[in-house]
Amino acid sequence: MVGLKRHYETPAGVVKALDGIDLEIHEGERVILLGPSGSGKTTLLNCLSALDSPTDGSYIFQGNEVPRNSSEKMTSFRRENIGYVFQFFNLLQDLSVLENIQLIQELSGKKNPTRAKELLSLVGLEEEMGRFPGEISGGQQQRVAIARSIAKKPTLLLGDELTGNLDTETSQKVMQALVEACAKEKITAIFVTHDESLVEYATRVIRIDSGKIMSDETVAQIEV
Amino acid sequence: MSALLNKRLARSLWRMKLRLFAVISMVFVGVFAGVTFGGYAANLETMYDTIYEDSETGTNLADLWIDNQSTVWSSEQVSGFCDSLRQSWPPTSASLDSCEGRMILKGALFHSNETGEHIINSVWHGIPENADIDRTWFPEGNSTVGGRVAQSSNEIVIDAHVTSALSIEIGDEVRIGAGNGSQNFTVVGIAYHPTNIYLAPEGSIFPPEPGQYVIGYLSNEGIESLSGLEGGSSNTIMLDIEGTPGFDLSTTIEYEGQEIDDIKPIVNSSMSENEMDGRVRDRGQNEAVEFMRLDLEGTKKSVTPITIMIGSIAAITIVLSLQRLIQSQSREIAILRTLGVPRTSLMTGYLIAPLAIGAVGCGLGALAAPSGVNSMLDLYQGLIGIPIIERTIPLNLYMSQIGLVMLLVFISGAFPAWKATRIEPLTILGGQSEIRVGSSLLKRLTGWMPTMLGLSIRSSVRKPIRLGLTFLAVGISLMLAGSIQMMTVGLTDSIVGGLEDDQTWDIQVYVQPGGEDDVIQWAIDNDADWEEIIEMPIGILEDSTGMQRTFTLVALQGYGEEESMKSVEIIEGNSPEDVDGEIQVMMDEGSLIMNGWSVGESHQVQIAGTEIDVKITGSIRGEVARTMFFLQPELSSIVGMNATSVYLDLPEGVTVDDSLGMMSSGIIDRQSLLNGIEALLEQQTQILTAVMGLGVLFTLAVMFNTMVMNIAERDFELATLRVLGASTIGIGTMLTFESLLIGFIGGLVGVAFAFGGAVGMASSFSTWAFYFPVILVPSVAFELMSIVIVIALAMVPIGIWRIRRMDLVEKVKDLSQ
Repeated sequence: MVGLKRHYETPAGVVKALDGIDLEIHEGERVILLGPSGSGKTTLLNCLSALDSPTDGSYIFQGNEVPRNSSEKMTSFRRENIGYVFQFFNLLQDLSVLENIQLIQELSGKKNPTRAKELLSLVGLEEEMGRFPGEISGGQQQRVAIARSIAKKPTLLLGDELTGNLDTETSQKVMQALVEACAKEKITAIFVTHDESLVEYATRVIRIDSGKIMSDETVAQIEV
Repeated sequence: MSALLNKRLARSLWRMKLRLFAVISMVFVGVFAGVTFGGYAANLETMYDTIYEDSETGTNLADLWIDNQSTVWSSEQVSGFCDSLRQSWPPTSASLDSCEGRMILKGALFHSNETGEHIINSVWHGIPENADIDRTWFPEGNSTVGGRVAQSSNEIVIDAHVTSALSIEIGDEVRIGAGNGSQNFTVVGIAYHPTNIYLAPEGSIFPPEPGQYVIGYLSNEGIESLSGLEGGSSNTIMLDIEGTPGFDLSTTIEYEGQEIDDIKPIVNSSMSENEMDGRVRDRGQNEAVEFMRLDLEGTKKSVTPITIMIGSIAAITIVLSLQRLIQSQSREIAILRTLGVPRTSLMTGYLIAPLAIGAVGCGLGALAAPSGVNSMLDLYQGLIGIPIIERTIPLNLYMSQIGLVMLLVFISGAFPAWKATRIEPLTILGGQSEIRVGSSLLKRLTGWMPTMLGLSIRSSVRKPIRLGLTFLAVGISLMLAGSIQMMTVGLTDSIVGGLEDDQTWDIQVYVQPGGEDDVIQWAIDNDADWEEIIEMPIGILEDSTGMQRTFTLVALQGYGEEESMKSVEIIEGNSPEDVDGEIQVMMDEGSLIMNGWSVGESHQVQIAGTEIDVKITGSIRGEVARTMFFLQPELSSIVGMNATSVYLDLPEGVTVDDSLGMMSSGIIDRQSLLNGIEALLEQQTQILTAVMGLGVLFTLAVMFNTMVMNIAERDFELATLRVLGASTIGIGTMLTFESLLIGFIGGLVGVAFAFGGAVGMASSFSTWAFYFPVILVPSVAFELMSIVIVIALAMVPIGIWRIRRMDLVEKVKDLSQ
């Protein structure tokens, strides 16, 4: 990302949600985006996932400019490259745990029932594959969501406050599962969070405020 | 606090203004249709009362008609009968006001215009200048009628139904005949007559094309001159009894005819005393009068069901919309409840909302109703040809229709309102209400399908009650749209189809008894094929309740292929055969159903006063009137005549000429008959199209409401799919499949409802005089199904449009909070 901006016109004037972000993410990194409310971290995540189009600047993904201002092209980009984990899991209640994963494979044209089961096994939920989301705990649902997000082997996995709805113990289990899955699948991951304790699961921590990057350090640098 | 709460609710409702508009429209149509049909019925009733009443402007409709078309009573016989009747009249009964003899003859009008001379099938009534009963009607304020009654022997009044089509005006000369040469008459008046309000020949419910059937009213001297009969000769006697004695209504199970039936034996006895023989009919048995009463009763009967049907669709839509609104506002309601807002304050708003919606719809409906009533009455005028001059809508009709619709609307709001107050803040705010476990049964049933397809089906049936209510509303809408269509198309199919395809005669020439020989000679002279036919409405049978019912006797040469110029559709059994010692007959299916008779049984019937046993060998479809079919030689030997009419199949180039017109007492042209039926059906198609359009509009509104709610409710699910990369095409395919599924099931339900409605309507409208068979014509069923499927599919672009304009950034915010 070079000079990435996202400005909003509001009755009160222009809001600069992102104001010139320069950022390079490398393959295999696990990045945590930290920042107070209104700092622009979710906007950055939306731009990274092509849910939102930047007002200005450049966003190159694996050598290609990411499409903007075209709903279908942006959707196609997401389908091919991005995995997404929501705070409230957002599993489809009418589909079983296994079917939730298979749906994503179907959408990306990569149907593979064996892999779907392997992913459930990876997040420790192979026993629950026939159950509905409403029949398992919140932590288990989030692990299903993680399995779902990596089911199509995305290049980049994004998570927005993905442990925000879980207790500490469950959060750690979920993050552990996520780190293992990303490592095994060689997936780059970026997570937005308020929770400083999650820094231990990252390889790099970026702090942003007022739409600008305030610090960008590797975990090694932080520990030093 | 309540005012603010209500303001909040009003704003929420305004946000769903498209659906709000649909609901208001339905309420509007409910009241509009209710008042329109009700007002129409009320005005028709007033019109009939005005025509029939015994006043200076009315016609004084008879209470009993005694007639015999195959005989002529002398003036001495008639006055002897009337004197005898007066003497034996029971003092306990209402008094006999009048007893009058009349001559009514079938004949022809020889009408010339720019295309040549035409012989038009006609009926001529002899009506004395000072008649007391069944007078001609000259309504004031109507531009078609005018002039005065016929007074001298060369004057005639022409029925107002035909003057425009034939360009006949007062002062014109017309040439007419009645099987005894022809004479010229001067038109001195144009008027209506109470037994010819609907201008169809006896035995038919279809009026011929305008100008193809004429009725004229002559003076006594005029009819004597035309027929060559002695002065005072009659073939019909009319009785007027003080007030209107109760007569049995063919549409009810109850027996209401005690009053008039007490008088009939005295009438019969007086006839015997004077050596007279004929049928005695009260108002319920006189088809011309009964048909109009049935029409009015049918209209009155349909008011409440139509209002309830439309009101129910509106009510279902209100229930669904309000429930969805409450569901979408559950968090707000929970917060309000947490802040201490009492249940009653919340409930008030949700109760007021449907009432406000109802009030707006009712107000608009009431305002538009007068134009609806006028349109219906104009349509009636066009169809029947009778002017309806005084037009008013009773205030109590407005009150009852609005009251009924408001009650339905209120009830539909009460349940969602109650549900709103039951919302538990902790359940909603704790997020427990969002946890839902899918159906294991559905998972088993759809587990083998591609996941996207399985999700479609599971999503469609996720809310079975709502889906059920949607199907119910679609069913009611299609009942409205399809029932009349199914009934009419079935009827048309059997009647017009039979007349069009299965008959080879060109003209039917009616003759006086013994007059068939001249017609046959004419046919031989002109190389035309001929067939003698007997058609007489003189059969009497006793039905299962002990009531005497009249029916028509028909005799053809045979019923096999090419045995007769008229073929009938035998739906059960076989045609009758000439068997010694047994009279075999067939009956129309309506007679068999209403009598509880079956093919193969033997029954006793009365023909011309003689009891005879007949064996029923077959059942016939396509006869509106109750009819028994004989072999011609057999019936001929019973009634003592060979034919009442002769069918002629004319060779190329041969047309009806003056000589045939003069020897006949009426000629029916098959093509004119068909044209008349088709013209009537065309007019009815306009009504059908309007009613069908209404039903389709409702189906559209119901499906639209369901689709919008479905998508609104699945915002979460669809947004998740979009964020995860599902393309618009993929989601569109899913919605298309869902719509197809809902459309297909809705269509099936709709066809079932429409068929049920048609059966219900047919059984409600069917009487001894008129039987309506319901035949499920596949094309109608397919048409109805296609309508629902097309409407369902038409909703898909709306869904896709909504998904495309979904703000995913905002949705992701919602999904993450």
